[in-house]
Amino acid sequence: MKKFAFFPGCLIPARHPAMEFAIRATLENLEIEIVDLEGASCCPDPIYFKSKDKVSWLAVAARNLTLAEDLGLDIFTNCSGCTATLSETYHLLQDQELRDRVNQRLARIDREYRGTSRVRHIATLVRDEVGYDKVRESVVRPLEGLKVAIHYGCHLLKPSRIMQVDNPDNPEVMEKLVEALGASPVRHRNWYLCCGKACQDEQIPNQMMHDLLDSVREEEADVLGMICPTCFGQFDHGQMKIAKLFEKDFSTPPVYYFQLLAFAQGVPYDKLGLERQRFKPVALQRFEEVVAG
Amino acid sequence: MASQPDKNDVVRVDFAFKRELAEKVEGDLASYCYQCGACVGDCPATTYSDGAFNPREIMLMVLYGLGDELIREGSILWDCTNCYACHERCPQQVKPVEVIISMKNMLADRGFAPTSAEKVIKTFEETGRTVPPNPAIDKQRAKFGLPPLPPVPMDEISKLFGTANGEGGAE
Repeated sequence: MKKFAFFPGCLIPARHPAMEFAIRATLENLEIEIVDLEGASCCPDPIYFKSKDKVSWLAVAARNLTLAEDLGLDIFTNCSGCTATLSETYHLLQDQELRDRVNQRLARIDREYRGTSRVRHIATLVRDEVGYDKVRESVVRPLEGLKVAIHYGCHLLKPSRIMQVDNPDNPEVMEKLVEALGASPVRHRNWYLCCGKACQDEQIPNQMMHDLLDSVREEEADVLGMICPTCFGQFDHGQMKIAKLFEKDFSTPPVYYFQLLAFAQGVPYDKLGLERQRFKPVALQRFEEVVAG
Repeated sequence: MASQPDKNDVVRVDFAFKRELAEKVEGDLASYCYQCGACVGDCPATTYSDGAFNPREIMLMVLYGLGDELIREGSILWDCTNCYACHERCPQQVKPVEVIISMKNMLADRGFAPTSAEKVIKTFEETGRTVPPNPAIDKQRAKFGLPPLPPVPMDEISKLFGTANGEGGAE
């Protein structure tokens, strides 16, 4: 078992506990040992709190990183927003002057940031520490014929110099992870668009989400493959809003990747909290009989 | 101070604005901008606002020191989607999105953050989370065999916040 410190953030543990359940269940099957971080706070979020005061944002993020440093472990995240905050902090604090400034704040609570724990997003953790083949071997019911429209979102990939996850113009990590489940990844025409959550204007994200969902629908995908909990919200409740606003029959259910993996590893459909979603991925149910017998 | 530059006027660079921005983390990066426009093509806020939001023009306003255009209530800067495409594309490593966020820090210092942003910031400052804990959340978590949300040591977190002007703060 390889050990990693788990940084769950706010959205997944509070709003989507089913996602956290799926992460814990699937990583155990992939021989990753999760070490919980005691005393972790919000990353803090890279949109709102960062907008208020970058130095405080860096100081709180650096404090979170020191919790993993104390354990001598690398840290992994399950939310693209947390990944953005923690990766950027790791990157920015390589600058000695800024690190000193942040450490002056941390000295108030007898902590010091040293930069010894790397930050990994869970998708790259699985890619690099487990490998696609082992994911494939863990699958007990291959999702053959399931069309999964991939939505990367923004912060998993960009800025690539800092995130170091994949090529943002032609990424493959999600496609390969979906293929390992036996399913078919689909790259739709507007795959690269943003979910728009951070924009304060209404018209910009509405029109963007419309165009995104329109191109998803053209592909007749069974589900949307999600990796970010913020994007997930935009595609679940948000999709209903956009469908109403534009009078379109958008209804492709979003599924967080690790719930899809848990299902493929044999966790029953009704144990995954999928019935709580606005759009339910009922297309998965046709794979249930395969293992039940 | 509010100077809408007339075509016949000489543009007056607001150096106080430029100095204040330069003090923010990565706020000084606009100096490297040579106005190539690489940030514009991929900007979803540009595409979906018919060009009303334009990161190249915003960087130009910063270079000109036209602070009053940007640092005011209802600033267009809040229309940025934070997608980081401009950061990815910029050949000069200006990181337009970071310059924009640094200006949002200036807006927040003046109490010009939109209500929705203020709400999340307040929740974080009070609870250390963006989603405050409550019994319903723990009940949901229990359904998945997960323990209640662990406490956040706010005594530590709040000591890390600075004063409105950045350094100093609660010692």
